[in-house]
Amino acid sequence: MNNEMTKKSDAQMPKSALHRWLRFAFVDWEQTQLVISMFILALLALTPLVVRSPYYMGIIILTVLYAYIGISWNIVAGFAGQLLIAHIIFVAFGAYTTIVLYNNFGVSPWFGLIASGIMAALLGAVVAFITLRYGLKADYFALFTIATMVALKALFLKWEFVGGAVGMGLRIHEPGFAKMIFQNKEPYLYISLGLVFLGLLAQYLIYRSKMGKYFFAIREDEAAAAALGVNTSLYKTYALLIGSAMAGIGGGFYVMYVTFVEPPQVFDLALNVELVMAGPIIGGLGSLLGPLLGALVNKPLAELIRGFLSVTRSGSSLIVYGSFLILAILFLPRGLSGLLHDAYLKLRVLIYKEEKE
Amino acid sequence: MALLEVHGITKRFGGLVAVNSLDVSVDTGHISALIGPNGAGKTTAFNVIAGFYQPTEGKVVFDGMDITNMRPDQVCKLGLTRTFQVVRPFRGITVLDNVMIGAYNRTNNDKIAREKAYEVLKFMKMEKLANQIASGLPIAGRKRLEIARALATEPKMILLDEAMAGLRPTETDEIIEVVRDISKQGIGILLVEHVMKVVMSLAENVLVIHHGVKIAEGVPDEVVQNKLVIEAYLGEVTTDAAN
Repeated sequence: MNNEMTKKSDAQMPKSALHRWLRFAFVDWEQTQLVISMFILALLALTPLVVRSPYYMGIIILTVLYAYIGISWNIVAGFAGQLLIAHIIFVAFGAYTTIVLYNNFGVSPWFGLIASGIMAALLGAVVAFITLRYGLKADYFALFTIATMVALKALFLKWEFVGGAVGMGLRIHEPGFAKMIFQNKEPYLYISLGLVFLGLLAQYLIYRSKMGKYFFAIREDEAAAAALGVNTSLYKTYALLIGSAMAGIGGGFYVMYVTFVEPPQVFDLALNVELVMAGPIIGGLGSLLGPLLGALVNKPLAELIRGFLSVTRSGSSLIVYGSFLILAILFLPRGLSGLLHDAYLKLRVLIYKEEKE
Repeated sequence: MALLEVHGITKRFGGLVAVNSLDVSVDTGHISALIGPNGAGKTTAFNVIAGFYQPTEGKVVFDGMDITNMRPDQVCKLGLTRTFQVVRPFRGITVLDNVMIGAYNRTNNDKIAREKAYEVLKFMKMEKLANQIASGLPIAGRKRLEIARALATEPKMILLDEAMAGLRPTETDEIIEVVRDISKQGIGILLVEHVMKVVMSLAENVLVIHHGVKIAEGVPDEVVQNKLVIEAYLGEVTTDAAN
C-alpha cells in the first residue's frame, strides 16, 4: 500500500482542485482513512445546527467519546495485538482522578485530564511490569486484566476517600470554562471532538512509524519480531502506556460529562464491552477508521435498543444488543472498514485508469 | 578469533539432554552446516545461539562478545539473526512492511528503512511483491521473505534454519545461489539443513550431531563418508546388510 512507484506517479501535474483532492485521498488506504475520519469529524461538528434535542445531542457526544476510547484500545489490542480485555480500568482511573482532584482539591478538570492520563499510565505501567515479569501472554494476559478489574472494584467499593460504594458526584458550581462545566451540550461535543481529533492523529502517526510497524510485528509473531531486533517487552510496554494514558484522559472527560462515577458502573465488563470493545470490533480492529466507524454504529444502536425496549420489555435490550454484536463478529470479520477497503480498492483502479487515458 | 564461537553448550529439558557440550565456530563470510537426523538437537542449538533459550552450560561468543545471556533482539543488534524452520511472516501486513521491520534494526528513519527494504527486496528478486500482503505469498516466496527480513537487519551472520525445506528443486537452486551471494558479501552463515544437495554444494564445513552430541566435523565430502554419520542416519550398518 505504501508503494513508492505510485507515489512518484502522483507527483505528476494534477488537473483540477477536485482531481488534486481525489489524488490525495487515494494515495494509499491509510491516508484515505484519515481523510474519511476528518470528514466524519467535520460532519459531527456541524450536528448542533440540525440536532436541537439535548437527548440526541447527548448520544452524539457519547458516540464521539466512545470513538476516542475505542482508538485508545485499538492501539493496544488492534495494533500490538495485546488481549487487553478490561481496558475500562484505565477509563475508571481517569474518571476518579479528575473528579477527586476537582471535588476535593478544586483542581481545574483541564489539568485533571492530564493528571488522569498520568494516573492511568501509571496503572498501565504496573500492568505491563507484572505481566512481563511473569511472562503472561494472550489468554493469561486477558485474565490478568479482568482480575485486576475485579480487584480494583472491590478496593474502590471500600475506599471512603473516593466515595466508597456510593461513588462520587460532581460538585456542580456555576458553569464555567475553567471548571469544564457547561449549561449547553455543545461545548462537551467540541471537547470530545478535539479528543478524537488528537486520538486519530496519534493513531495515524503511530501506524506510519517504526513503533507502529514494531507493534504489528509483535501482534503477528513475537518470536520472529525478537529475531529481527524488536525489543518486544519494551514495545508492549509502550503500547500499554499509550493506550492507558489515552483512556485515562477519556475517563476524565467521561466523568465531567456524566457528572458521577461509582465502582459498579465503571469496573464492569458489560460497560467495558459497550464502551471499549464493541466499536473497534464492529468498525474493524487494527484499522485506522475502525474505532470511529464502529462507534457511529455502536452507540446510537445501543441507545436505540435501550430506548425502545426499556419501556415494553425491560432488561431485554442487552439480549438484542448482544445478538447484534455476535452477528457483526460472524459476518464482518474485518469490520466496516474492511468493507470500505474493498470498495476503495475498486475505486482506486477506476481513478487511476481515468488518469492514464 | 572466529566470528561465532560456541563453547560447549549444553541444553537440558528436564531429564532430556537436547544438546550436549556442543562446540561450533563460524568465520566471517564462511558457510557452515549443522546436520543430523530428526530430533538431533539442531534447532535447539540454534535457539540457544540466537538467544531464545538460555543454555544449561557453556557459552556463546559472537564477534568477541559473550552473548550467552542476551535476548534475541540484543543479539540481533550485535549482528546475529536467524530465520525459522517453519516460516513466520508477519501475515497481516505487506511484504515491504515485513522487510522494513528488519531494516528498523539499524535506523529510526522511515525513509532509510524503506530504501533499505527495497534494496534487499531487489536483491531477493521480490521487489514486484512489495505491496502484497505477506499471507498471500506461496511457500517459496515466504522462504525468500524470511531471508529478506533477516538481511534487512544488516547482520554479520545469519542462522538459516532449513531455508530450503519444502521447496521444488529449481527453487532450491535459486536459494542456494542467494545464500552464496550473501556469503560473498562477507556475512557468515550457519545453516541447518536436511536437503543434502544444499549442504554439499554450499557448506565449507559440516558438523554432524546426533542425540545432541557432535559426532563428526569436516569438509562435506569427508563427513558423508564417516562411518558414525552413516550409522546415525541409516542405523547400524552390519556386514550382512552392507553385502
